[in-house]
Amino acid sequence: MNLLNTVKDGMITGLRMLMPSCREALRLQSDALERSLPPARRPGLWLHLLLCKWCRYYGQQIRFLRHAAHKHPDELTQATPQRLSPEARERIRQKLRMHTE
Amino acid sequence: MENEGELTSIPKKREGGTQASPGLSDPESWVDLHGDYLFKYALIRLRDPAKAEDAVQETFLAALKGGKSFQGRAAEKSWLVGVLKNKIYDHYRKSSRETSFTDLEFYADEESDRFVPDGLFKDGWIHELGPLEWSSPGASLDSEVFWKTFHECSNKLPKNVAAVFNLREVDGVESREICSLMNISESNLWVMLHRARMALRRCLDANWFGKQA
Repeated sequence: MNLLNTVKDGMITGLRMLMPSCREALRLQSDALERSLPPARRPGLWLHLLLCKWCRYYGQQIRFLRHAAHKHPDELTQATPQRLSPEARERIRQKLRMHTE
Repeated sequence: MENEGELTSIPKKREGGTQASPGLSDPESWVDLHGDYLFKYALIRLRDPAKAEDAVQETFLAALKGGKSFQGRAAEKSWLVGVLKNKIYDHYRKSSRETSFTDLEFYADEESDRFVPDGLFKDGWIHELGPLEWSSPGASLDSEVFWKTFHECSNKLPKNVAAVFNLREVDGVESREICSLMNISESNLWVMLHRARMALRRCLDANWFGKQA
């Protein structure tokens, strides 16, 4: 039983060294949008993404978020329901008047 | 009140014919033309209606002072947005010097409940909870309801995490610049961006893409 556990732990450690976990793969894919990953991490991530469709989808989706936000700043701004209140409007108008007259 | 120069520069502009050219519209009409847009823009980034109102007012006053001529309203609007952006960045710079910018409580992992807690597959997705493919996400970009959902999801992010996300992903500011603006380290920024993406992805998945099928 003990031997079995040792073998199991050894396998897990080996697997971890070779390939990042899903949790790590998410972080690495996010970091990859900010900097080039350390060369030592790249093959493992590549292998992970080859085998794991969930993490692949995750990567596609965060890259989509970047694309969506960056290409559509106007839509994002207009989606805010709040508007300048009538009081603020009047106050700003008065200020402008003060400075133009 | 603030500066005499502001008062004297305006009549000159009027005589000089800037107002008559198809350029800058009458400052008083700015509130109706651009007020709501600028307010929304500031509110997303400051999360505080009073501060957003102040930022809009400061923007108009600064614009009045540095008034130039424009070809049409679109150019006028993007110029005002540029002025407002600087006001907002000034605000970030000031407040990041006063308080720690990092939202530590947000560092608890958003997706923890979706990962296998231990064993051989520790930190792997629990099978039925892994992300599913989004069907034609590009088509969503034309939907007003999608952007409303996007806005609501990003509003749920902690203020500072949302600020960092907006700077990086909406405004496209470089990492290093964000770090100096917010007074945080790069590794701190990366964690915040990771968390923001994770939370936003999950929220959109639950409230938009998951409902499309």
